Amino acid sequence: MEEKTAKEPPTKVEDQTLDSMDDTGDDEIDKAFQCFICLDLFYKPVVLACGHVSCFWCAHMSMSGWVQHSHCPICRQTYNHFPSICELLHLLLLKTHPVVYKRREKQVLEEEKKNECFSPQLVDGLMTKTEHGLAENALENGTSEQISITDVLCTACKKMLFRPAVLNCGHVYCEDCVHTLVNGVLRCQVCQSCHPGGFPKVCLVLDNFLEEHFPEEYAQRKDAVQLRQQHARHAGPSTCESQNEKGSTKSARKDGLLRTNGIVTEFAAHIGVGCDSCGVFPMMGKRYKCKDCMESIGFDLCGDCYESRSKLPGRFNQQHTPDHRSWHEHGED
Amino acid sequence: MTRRENQETQDNIPTQPSPPPMQATLPSSTGKKTLVTPKPVDAQSVLKRLQSELMALMMSGDPGISAFPDGDNIFCWKGTISGSKDTAYEELEYKLSLSFTADYPFKPPKVKFVTMCFHPNVDVYGNICLDILQDKWSSAYDVRTILLSIQSLLGEPNNDSPLNTQAAALWNNQEEYKKMVEKLYKPPA
Repeated sequence: MEEKTAKEPPTKVEDQTLDSMDDTGDDEIDKAFQCFICLDLFYKPVVLACGHVSCFWCAHMSMSGWVQHSHCPICRQTYNHFPSICELLHLLLLKTHPVVYKRREKQVLEEEKKNECFSPQLVDGLMTKTEHGLAENALENGTSEQISITDVLCTACKKMLFRPAVLNCGHVYCEDCVHTLVNGVLRCQVCQSCHPGGFPKVCLVLDNFLEEHFPEEYAQRKDAVQLRQQHARHAGPSTCESQNEKGSTKSARKDGLLRTNGIVTEFAAHIGVGCDSCGVFPMMGKRYKCKDCMESIGFDLCGDCYESRSKLPGRFNQQHTPDHRSWHEHGED
Repeated sequence: MTRRENQETQDNIPTQPSPPPMQATLPSSTGKKTLVTPKPVDAQSVLKRLQSELMALMMSGDPGISAFPDGDNIFCWKGTISGSKDTAYEELEYKLSLSFTADYPFKPPKVKFVTMCFHPNVDVYGNICLDILQDKWSSAYDVRTILLSIQSLLGEPNNDSPLNTQAAALWNNQEEYKKMVEKLYKPPA
């Protein structure tokens, strides 16, 4: 039985532009930062390779975990890797929507406690005491903190982000700067993680925010980049598509077949199990499970990340440390 | 990390059919006690999302569609769609039922026609064959987009894989088709 082809869901763009954006801290959700899944303010935002944003848990729950490819809930682009939280957006939201964001924090933490499964706790690692203090202050005064250019700088060029793209590790670069990172593979300058798949697309939620809040700087950056592009055009075009496949070591995942040297091996997925380092979900091929991590969610690495001795922390706040050295190896199911 | 699927919270919701037994398809080799901990979605967050949707739906005022919880249970809604202009369903109003599980919006709600509907992709029990309610479901869809999709399905059926073969066969003869639609139509009480 075949079904009718899906109609494009009516987008909510009109709502976004019609509604006023002056969220000064009451309980109204700013439409520009509204998660399409929980319909609340983004909390611990993650950005998919297609540039769409959702909350940490919303993104995780939207991934299938049963079949190889998950689809972006908004544009249906396929992806296999659960992205890490975008810290830049997280801090931006904390500053612009302190009251609502704190309410979200409380509410999500309660759910996490109930489920005994936690998202990465950013307070100690990311948020400095002053920022934490600011949020508390804002809670009392009902005011939101001013955003400055220093909050929205590109990791690579250190200028204000222009057409920002977010890597799977959550670090943000200008679209142009991402291209400079490629050296065989697309690797983040900060955390050295490989970005799986092709080039990430521009995160429009962030881009629109920048254009609106820093119109002058945005226009300057735009002119500068356009000028550079005009010069670069003579050097021959390089498109996303042409580099899509070589950008990743894992792009060979297709239809359950991993092609190595012409030999086709069929892997079943480790259903419902994801890699805590690169975020691939479900995992294919070899799987290593830490024997020392006591959290019920467990700490697992895929073959590639195990080999590369990944030092990244768990994605669900597991207290995994490099001292944990005993691993249980699961074969290819 | 291993994601657990949730059984407990589903049991808390009255009048819900069990979702497909995902757990049964788990290969035992994953070696995980998959039913122990509920996954991080509980009835509370579903409730919140449904309340937000209800608010948005009431504010939006889309012509030709409406929906509202059926009685006290916010997990069961009644929806109404009107046939679009220039279709065989013009000026007819159809009632539908939508029932949500604790997995919503990560799993689609079960949507059925309550009003008898003569249509190639609707069977005599009111079941609807529409991809976005099955494998093409996305967690970004909501009641509003579901109802709009069904409304457009009325005027643009998929006649290649009909649930109602008679309706599919008659589709090309719009005059006769319209007569059948009207003959079998019972206005909602």
